[in-house]
Amino acid sequence: MFAHPRPPISRREMLARCGMGMGLLGLAPLLADTARAAADPINPLAPRPPHFPGKAKRVIHIFANGGPSQVDTFDPKPALAKYAGKPLPAANLRTERRTGAAFPSPFKFQKYGKSGLEVSELFSNTAKHIDDICVIRSMHADVPNHEPSFLLMNTGEARLIRPSVGSWVAYGLGTENQNLPGFITMCPAGMPLLESQNWQAGFLPGVFQGTYIDTKHTDVEKLVEHVRSKTTPPADQRRQLDLLARLNAAHQAARPDDPQLEARIRSFELAYRMQTEAAEAFDVTREPKHVLEAYGPGEQARSLLLARRLVERGVRFVQVSHGPVQPWDSHDDLEVEHRRLAGQVDRAIGALISDLKRLGLFESTLIVWGGEFGRTPVVELPTPGSNAGKVNGRDHNHWGFTVWMAGGGVKGGQAVGATDEFGFKAVENPVHVHDLHATMLHLLGFDHEKFTFRYAGRDFRLTDVHGRVVKEVLA
Amino acid sequence: MTRWVFTLGLLSGIAAPASAVEPAKTPGGPTPAGTPEQVEFFEKKVRPVLAEQCYSCHGAKKQSAGLRLDTADGMKKGADNGPVVVPGDPARSRLVASVKRAGDFPMPPKAALPADTVAALTEWVKMGAPFPEAAGTQAVADPRKHWAFQPIKDPPLPQLRDPRGEVRNEIDRFVLAKLEEKGLAAAPRADKRTLIRRAHFDLLGLPPTADEVDAFEKDDSPQAFEKLVDKLLASPHYGERWGRYWLDVARYADTKGYVFQEDRNFPYAYTYRDYVIRSFNEDKPFDRFVVDQLAADKLPLGDDKRPLAAMGFLTLGRRFLNNTPDIIDDRIDVVSRGLMGLTVACARCHDHKFDPVPIKDYYSLYGVFASSVEPKEPPLIGGAPRTPEVEAFEKELAKREVNYTAEVAKRHGLAVAKLRSADSVAEYVRAVLDARGKPGDQIQGFVRDRDLTGFVFARWRAYLTEQLKQHSPVFSPLAQLRDIPETDFAAKAPAVIAGLGADPAVLKALADAKPKTFREAAAAVGKVIAGATKDQPALLAVLGPGGPTDIPVADAEKIFNRLDRDQLAAVRQKIDAFKASSPAAPPRAHVLNDTPSPVEPVVFLRGNPGNRGPAVPRQMPEVVAGAARKPFTDGSGRLELARSIVSPDNPLTARVFVNRVWIGHFGQGLVRTPSDFGVRSDPPTHPELLDWLAKRFMQDGWSVKQLHRRIMLSATYQQASSAERGARNAEQKATNSGSSVPHSALRDSRSDDPDNRLLAHQNRRRLDFEALRDSFLAAAGRLDPAVGGRPVDLFNVPFPARRTVYGLIDRSNFPGTFRSFDVASPDQHSPQRFLTTVPTQALFLLNSPFVAEQAKALANRPEVVAAKSADEKLTKLYRAALGRNTTRDELALGREFVGAGAQGGAAFGKWEQFAQVLLLSNEFAFVD
Repeated sequence: MFAHPRPPISRREMLARCGMGMGLLGLAPLLADTARAAADPINPLAPRPPHFPGKAKRVIHIFANGGPSQVDTFDPKPALAKYAGKPLPAANLRTERRTGAAFPSPFKFQKYGKSGLEVSELFSNTAKHIDDICVIRSMHADVPNHEPSFLLMNTGEARLIRPSVGSWVAYGLGTENQNLPGFITMCPAGMPLLESQNWQAGFLPGVFQGTYIDTKHTDVEKLVEHVRSKTTPPADQRRQLDLLARLNAAHQAARPDDPQLEARIRSFELAYRMQTEAAEAFDVTREPKHVLEAYGPGEQARSLLLARRLVERGVRFVQVSHGPVQPWDSHDDLEVEHRRLAGQVDRAIGALISDLKRLGLFESTLIVWGGEFGRTPVVELPTPGSNAGKVNGRDHNHWGFTVWMAGGGVKGGQAVGATDEFGFKAVENPVHVHDLHATMLHLLGFDHEKFTFRYAGRDFRLTDVHGRVVKEVLA
Repeated sequence: MTRWVFTLGLLSGIAAPASAVEPAKTPGGPTPAGTPEQVEFFEKKVRPVLAEQCYSCHGAKKQSAGLRLDTADGMKKGADNGPVVVPGDPARSRLVASVKRAGDFPMPPKAALPADTVAALTEWVKMGAPFPEAAGTQAVADPRKHWAFQPIKDPPLPQLRDPRGEVRNEIDRFVLAKLEEKGLAAAPRADKRTLIRRAHFDLLGLPPTADEVDAFEKDDSPQAFEKLVDKLLASPHYGERWGRYWLDVARYADTKGYVFQEDRNFPYAYTYRDYVIRSFNEDKPFDRFVVDQLAADKLPLGDDKRPLAAMGFLTLGRRFLNNTPDIIDDRIDVVSRGLMGLTVACARCHDHKFDPVPIKDYYSLYGVFASSVEPKEPPLIGGAPRTPEVEAFEKELAKREVNYTAEVAKRHGLAVAKLRSADSVAEYVRAVLDARGKPGDQIQGFVRDRDLTGFVFARWRAYLTEQLKQHSPVFSPLAQLRDIPETDFAAKAPAVIAGLGADPAVLKALADAKPKTFREAAAAVGKVIAGATKDQPALLAVLGPGGPTDIPVADAEKIFNRLDRDQLAAVRQKIDAFKASSPAAPPRAHVLNDTPSPVEPVVFLRGNPGNRGPAVPRQMPEVVAGAARKPFTDGSGRLELARSIVSPDNPLTARVFVNRVWIGHFGQGLVRTPSDFGVRSDPPTHPELLDWLAKRFMQDGWSVKQLHRRIMLSATYQQASSAERGARNAEQKATNSGSSVPHSALRDSRSDDPDNRLLAHQNRRRLDFEALRDSFLAAAGRLDPAVGGRPVDLFNVPFPARRTVYGLIDRSNFPGTFRSFDVASPDQHSPQRFLTTVPTQALFLLNSPFVAEQAKALANRPEVVAAKSADEKLTKLYRAALGRNTTRDELALGREFVGAGAQGGAAFGKWEQFAQVLLLSNEFAFVD
């Protein structure tokens, strides 16, 4: 963590020091929050305390983009077998496409841990930690379409421009390592559907936007823009910075008391250190062999290992999407596809949790796994012009799905809420996406109703006018 | 703590901050503020309901029956005929009776409140009707009285008793008067080097050359600065600087953001950007500038159609997955906040919580934009010569369009043929007969479940309804068979069929088929229709001209399946990308045109288009146009809207724009919330000056260049930027003038006005990204002075040397460098740029190949290369990068750094490294 060279200053003094510059005013809402008096008047990423001490200090969001099926993963529904190939007793709920008969899960479930929660064979490695995982089985969203649901899950608003969850968190807490971005979002080989809108800063300053990393690459220069000079060796760069410091000091001598000048001077030193630190942080080959083996091969494993390296170094929010566009969207060939997708990530998730525990970070790191919605417990019927006549997949399902949380402040070994007998709709203790966000913020130490940003005449919240903290999730 | 006017949880979702609610503010009243729990209850459950349901008739604006429910006093006083709340006694409280719809006045008048809401109100009365005033509630009695909604005044010039600063023009009188009140003094005039640098960056966003600085320093005439300002205002680069400011307002981008399958480029967005730059350069009167941007299509333009491009202001916003209400919301927002500093978009779902903008006014504007659509092909605006490249482009485009049309026709033919198959005919006929008697709202789901196309179903239904009315011999038999219960069908059908008077072919088909179910009967009829021969005219007619399957190619999209649509969209996307990427594509304008008949808007209750409320006229918001406003009558009303926005009586437009220009010269506005002049905005630091400037601006024929001159020729503008010097100046003045103010009373603006709201000195400002990048190119001697044209990708090799304003702005892939340097986000209207200092900026400056390239070019400028000695080289470098000569210390530092380093060649040697350091220095990046 970056040590501030100057002693903490009062807000009044801070304003006195930086009483100019349009942007400072632009950031006034940030600074005006007396509960989180900024330790640093200029750097919006300086760490700040939340409303109350939160158990979670950082977040890893494993975004299973495309919508994994709950009845094939964490929400067993044996009743489906009774109706296999036959219509369910009640009419199917309306989803994106036409659906037909009940489709029992082709995967085996078994009980894990002391809690005895059932998890399917797809996530057998994750399941080894089930006693530390809180499975929310009663999630629901608003519509069965990817685009609005991606936005809802990632920004709390289905259509309009709003800051993403990670941006809110970075805005609220700053970040613990000034040598790395505060909010990093990863996706191998491309971007999820809607691209940068998933990690947009919206009306918050651009520094809170997620920094996108394509984890297909292994070369740090491709991972972090401008992390290294192609023209100047480090020793020469050090000389450059020393000269720069002297020129700037002379310039500053005639212009005392201007924190803008000071801040910019400092930013070069930070950048210089960032080059080393970022290069190191993104270099997973520095991990010992047994750790690399524990995560397994592939891009998912590398992403999650990177996520661990980053939170370990103080990055506030890391999002890991599974792959470009919407890989978990198994309209067809669900058995093959879900097996392939879970096979890419399950081992790494298990390793990640073990690893965080080993490093003593698990208790203070909030892990959230889930898609933007789930899938229907009934088959999707073929649609002219697509599906190629296959009837072996599931349609989108926003009525009920599963998200699980683990780590910082979460009570593991339990299922919260429930879907109906067949896993179609959340019926017991339904948890809306807004409620999930309210709960995440709570775990981080924020009252989601008081965590606001003034923009265009309004005070905006991540949860808009909705959301409740799901008390059952809390440890 | 933030000041809250109301703390209405609903919209902002925030209960009153605990410390803002001091209990028992109304001594002796029957409605004390209550305990913290009660306050919370009130703020969460009661105040939102009152605000949502009651304030419109019983609030600040209107007090029906003399009742006002938004203040503790009003609640206590009750209606004209007595109290409505008896604290602690719901049974005797008429308010409770009303919401229970039991008393004489069931409230709200239109619909009952939900039961839990009624229960909450009752509970609240029971607990004693505690009514905490939010801090400041009393102060804002009537939002319509808010300063920004009052006519722009022409205030008299303040008289100065004891001016502590120079007076160059009227602006200074207003500023000095405020300083005088606080015992503060203005800073002395900045030195000339500072002034010319400041003027250059303010007007051009580019540094002066060292020679220009020298010449200006030598010019001793009193008009030297004025001449400089005029020279800069005449530069074509002026429009690039100020055009970019306007593009922030206009949330300009070259792409639409995420869209499903269409090409994401706005192929002609650049024509809007060029229009904006040209307009500033030509000093187009601002009122006309606004009218062009809203309604150029409705103006008599003559031969020069280029102003049509102005409408990009409306059209170049994000596309929100092509959801019309969101696109319109974005347009309402850019017009209302961008032009008038009015946050109208807050009234999309309910009346604005703070400003007098009711939801009805939002939908009045909604109607204007709902009546304005983009033509399929944007109109040509000329201005490009007919070169062989243009002709080649058009030929290629025409070829692609022909292919596309042929592909549509082919797929249309196949789709129609499929609809004429026996199976399809049977399916639709059966569906129509099955659907008889179904409620309208179930039809859509029914059609979907049958996997039919809604459009085709509707055609069949219309057709069959008519046929059956006329007892069609082809279809009546099926209608009768449909009436047989499915369980008896096999048994009863033969008798029914035998008794039918029907088309013989149909009869025969049915008799032969011996249908056991209605489905089989329909299949038989489908077959005979699909296979009709020439001698069966009645059957033939079904699928003939005018029949349900006679679907014109214009409607082809409606019968295409997913595959057809996807594949055609891919072709269309390629054509559009071709247009966007072809330099020879003739310029067009992204305009709007009025729909043939304007939309008569209705309020969408709670912002939900499915929940239609009262009809409203298309008209201006009352808060700006007054109660005497008239509904728009000319088509959509866009032209009337534009004219009303720039009417001299509009209290907001001139103030808002003058304030934006002020920001460009001081870094900070007279109003510090530049796109929100509403009730909760920051009050102006110099309200009289704001009005005076706005008035002059309009009197000058809305000349923006005159406004710049006025501001820049003031002593206020020309002050030094150092707060310390301002303080010293104050002391000096006091000493010299033998001022009546005792020395000890002199104040220091650093402690008394740390935000420099009173302008006791100029503000030091950091270059924004555009000015920084352009200055690199200028220092390198590489800046391409060309004005206008298509966007260029700034971040790929070879790096273009064009000004940053011409950089491609892709909403979906907004470059990280833009983001880390706080370039305005193109997602929404941007009131003012953030100014952050983060290490990623420094990383770009240290490591990006672009900066290295400029450093190298700087180190290898001809005059540097030609210089004989190291000292001379260093001096040339300083002059090129910082516009000045070196000091002895600097020469020593420089010599030490470069040592015996060689210059030029492929390597990035010591000289190049030194050049880069100059580019990275604070002196380079800040303007005093």
